[in-house]
Amino acid sequence: MPQETVSGTAQAAPIVVVENVTKRFGAFTALNDVNLRVGKGEKIVLCGPSGSGKSTLIRCINHIEKHDGGRIVVDGVELSHRLADINSVRCEVGMVFQSFNLFPHLTVAENCMLAPMKVRGISQAEARARALGLLRKVRIQDQADKYPAQLSGGQQQRVAIARALCMQPKIMLFDEPTSALDPEMVKEVLDTMVELAKDGMTMVCVTHEMGFAREVADRVIFMDRGCILEEADPETFFRAPRSERAKGFLNQIIH
Amino acid sequence: MNTLDFSIVAQSWPYLWSGLVFSLSLTAAAFAIGMVLGTCLALVQHFEVPVLAQVVRGYVAVIRSIPLILVLFWFFFLVPIVLGYLSGNGRPVPIGATFTAFITFGLFEAAYYSEIIRVGLRAVNKGQFEACQALALSTYDTYRHIVLPQVLRVASPIILSQTIILFQDTSLVYVLSLTDLLGAASKLAQLNGRLVEMYLVVALAYLAISSAASQCVAILRKRYALATSR
Repeated sequence: MPQETVSGTAQAAPIVVVENVTKRFGAFTALNDVNLRVGKGEKIVLCGPSGSGKSTLIRCINHIEKHDGGRIVVDGVELSHRLADINSVRCEVGMVFQSFNLFPHLTVAENCMLAPMKVRGISQAEARARALGLLRKVRIQDQADKYPAQLSGGQQQRVAIARALCMQPKIMLFDEPTSALDPEMVKEVLDTMVELAKDGMTMVCVTHEMGFAREVADRVIFMDRGCILEEADPETFFRAPRSERAKGFLNQIIH
Repeated sequence: MNTLDFSIVAQSWPYLWSGLVFSLSLTAAAFAIGMVLGTCLALVQHFEVPVLAQVVRGYVAVIRSIPLILVLFWFFFLVPIVLGYLSGNGRPVPIGATFTAFITFGLFEAAYYSEIIRVGLRAVNKGQFEACQALALSTYDTYRHIVLPQVLRVASPIILSQTIILFQDTSLVYVLSLTDLLGAASKLAQLNGRLVEMYLVVALAYLAISSAASQCVAILRKRYALATSR
């Protein structure tokens, strides 16, 4: 098993365990018997051609998609169909979406405050303090009382990261966080993610930003047609991909 | 034709005013009942509540396919008979014209508002629901704090347009012998013979109120367009 050699920590203290997970959309198999272990503090980059199942995989980890077969255990809780289990997992798993999905009718600060107040039950003052602290961390505290539509795409995505962090999750999932951004805004979001990685956050990122993968990833996982084809440390993966499909994929994204 | 004499309007102003107050209170009450009930009806359909969703669909379809004036007749004449049957002594139980008007308008508008809100619910971006799921928000909090506020914002111009129509429709209460703005003017006109002045002034009153409300619609549209740019 390649992951055992690459990442001993993943075996020691897995915080996410994905076992034999299958997901179908009608006749289309999005995930086909996928196995993945993520250790505490590990940073994983998922890449692969579109339709390969990488987004579906991370969406299964917080049960936004329901897996059809196999087992997913997050922070010791198995994802069943019980809402209590699902929500206790979601509290520990932050997610950042390609399209930001900020709440347009709430200010930046309110976007960050709502879930901690309603789900974690903290006071408004505490939620505001926490929101401002994290907005400062993503260098956007001066926009706290603006509405999302008044911000640039890069700023909105950084707000989305802060919003997820306000729940104080143990794991962060990123679903192509820079794909919807203008090129000049990609860096500010990646810088934020790099910083987060240096703080020791466990991260699973679907991204094609290979510079980011080289800088922070402990493992790069290459998926194709619903299966994990390769996993390796970034240097090995980029220098010497084993499968033909990974070679073809890398050729296409690194011109 | 005689020259116009608007002094008659000034003299009868208190009566007209009481008619206008009735029209506006009926509009406000029907709006409040209609919005609360309409939101519930829309949510019942949205969540596909077993049995209830079908009943609500039937209700909305029936109300929307018959004229308001007929609904008023129904309530005024049929509900007392039904209540009489239910009470067992067979005698109609009168429910009163004012009560009939408020309840009927509220129930009638609920059907229209519920359609507006139902369509609005379907238009909310899927990503908003996913963000709520990812933040572990409960279904109640998701709808209370995220979905419904957005629906009401997006739908506010249409809701207000519907309310302008509602305001004009309140003039139908004349069939229940209630005196709204138009009813007041019409009674005065028959008493003093000043039909032209009376109807002119009333038309101007409707015009002023409705166009002021339409201006609000335009402002809401603009504000919403700004809020969602990008």
